[in-house]
Amino acid sequence: MTAYDDRALRDLVRSDRVHRDFYTSPEVFELEMERIFGRAWLIVGHDSQVPNPGDFVTTMLCRHKVIMSRHADGRIHVMFNRCAHRGAQVCTDPKGNAKRFECPYHGWVYETDGRHAGAPYPKRYAAGFLKDGEFDLAKVPRVAIYRGFVFGSLSAEGPGLDEFLGPMKSHIDAMVDRAPDGEVEACAGTFRYRFDANWKIQMENQNDLYHPMFTHASTTARDGTQFRRHGAEDDEAGRVRLLKENEALNEQWEELPIGGHRHGHTFMGMFPMDKGQSGPVYERYRAAMEARYGDRAADAMAVKHHNSIFYPQWSIQYLTQHIRVMNPVSVDCTENVIIPLRLKGAPEEMWRAALRSNNNSHSPSGMVMSDDMEVWVRCQRGLASPGREWVVFARGMNEERIDNAGSFEGRGTSEANARHQHAAWLNYMCGAA
Amino acid sequence: MRVEIEEFLYREARLLDERRFEEWMNLFAEDGYYWVPAAPDQKDPYDGVSIFFDDRKIMKTRLERLDHPRIHSQTPASRTMHAVSNIEIDPEFGAENEILVRSGLTMMEFRLDKQTVYGGRCRHLLRIAGGGFEIAWKRVDLINCDGVFETLSVPF
Repeated sequence: MTAYDDRALRDLVRSDRVHRDFYTSPEVFELEMERIFGRAWLIVGHDSQVPNPGDFVTTMLCRHKVIMSRHADGRIHVMFNRCAHRGAQVCTDPKGNAKRFECPYHGWVYETDGRHAGAPYPKRYAAGFLKDGEFDLAKVPRVAIYRGFVFGSLSAEGPGLDEFLGPMKSHIDAMVDRAPDGEVEACAGTFRYRFDANWKIQMENQNDLYHPMFTHASTTARDGTQFRRHGAEDDEAGRVRLLKENEALNEQWEELPIGGHRHGHTFMGMFPMDKGQSGPVYERYRAAMEARYGDRAADAMAVKHHNSIFYPQWSIQYLTQHIRVMNPVSVDCTENVIIPLRLKGAPEEMWRAALRSNNNSHSPSGMVMSDDMEVWVRCQRGLASPGREWVVFARGMNEERIDNAGSFEGRGTSEANARHQHAAWLNYMCGAA
Repeated sequence: MRVEIEEFLYREARLLDERRFEEWMNLFAEDGYYWVPAAPDQKDPYDGVSIFFDDRKIMKTRLERLDHPRIHSQTPASRTMHAVSNIEIDPEFGAENEILVRSGLTMMEFRLDKQTVYGGRCRHLLRIAGGGFEIAWKRVDLINCDGVFETLSVPF
């Protein structure tokens, strides 16, 4: 087994290819957990999942069990789900409202901000042993919120959320600003699924414009259009033309802008072959948006991106209105949580259409998601075999325009987005992140 | 009546196992729907997301896809066995020509060397029509509806 010092890690990534160990080595995976997931800002959830004091959800932050709660004072807390006494999880409900969290083992109790609120029979501890602050639920070292999205960092130091997101803040704004009330709400539950592939395979896939017409061929009708992906009315909106008629390739894919910003974040533009929405429901939405945003309404309403990836752990899918949280489980297993987002103040019909769109495309039975998961698992299985050591990302090589701030712009079916992620990976793994 | 209802459910299960998806779809009324909630005790399909919530239109899209030559997640196709049990009949529910049927469902699925077992409770609202039944709606409450899934393709 290779000992992965910096040099061995650098040898895994070349400008146009990566070594298969990048996806298959348990040792590399453990280093990633420490150096990438241990440093980056990771998404925990959305504050609308815990609207009232005492509300909580239990979830995963990378590989760690955490509780996100709203305390009596209205503030959000993210704590490790581990009793300070003997380590048992203090809460196993997926969500709920609690006055306090009580450990099932010896009855230690905690406030909803994690403060230790007492141990039964305290007299058997030495005087002063159970002093304040000593036995609280451990907090995720840093927590920050941007427009309702709750982030945690497993490192007490490093760039702040503002610097981490950088220009990607506008990609969160692009989702939230589409709501006439200027807020989104995670009020529809979640989908969770698991697939046997390395986390980076999904990362590379989400902005890959070279795959839809092949991986998702089965989602198209004879005219090459997909089933409806958004839009509340029986117009053409949301029926993306993946292929031309008779399964001919659609050159419009090459027109899409793609790009990325520092820390490995990448994105792609909106599908040009998706027709705009129209009809009476849409007009009601437009009126609500104009009432709030005035001259800015057309810009705020626009679906500007298909999806945007916040490396290394989550993405926004604009068309179907959800975020995807992607938590690595092991070198060859990843777990996703899909959290649909309601545009507050938009017509109910639009929300119903968004819900159905999520069901149809991104549920465990989703017609889009299931073929994606299938190819990721096949990649992981294929990569387990020797004989050919490199995985190729040379498409559109050197076509992208890179600026001095670590951003780039590219186009269409280029694999520049994956290359950008790989460069960030090296920086996290071998540089001063 | 009980025998006819049992035979209807057994045949429905067999159509799915034999991948006769169009015939399965045609058991549903034109305004019928198939619903698998993603949360226990979900009251309305629009309260939240669902694992399946298909009207005839989306059912057709989904089932035609299952016959598409390039559906990778069903290459090779799953083999399934839908076992129906615990049938209870409630003619009081719904309109005069409607019967609510409760049943237990176990679905075993085998694909690519892996066998998976799903279990849940079904409710069919059957409508008496044309000398037989049509499905006004079918709801399947999986015991793991809010759990972690791998890919699902074949309806329950």
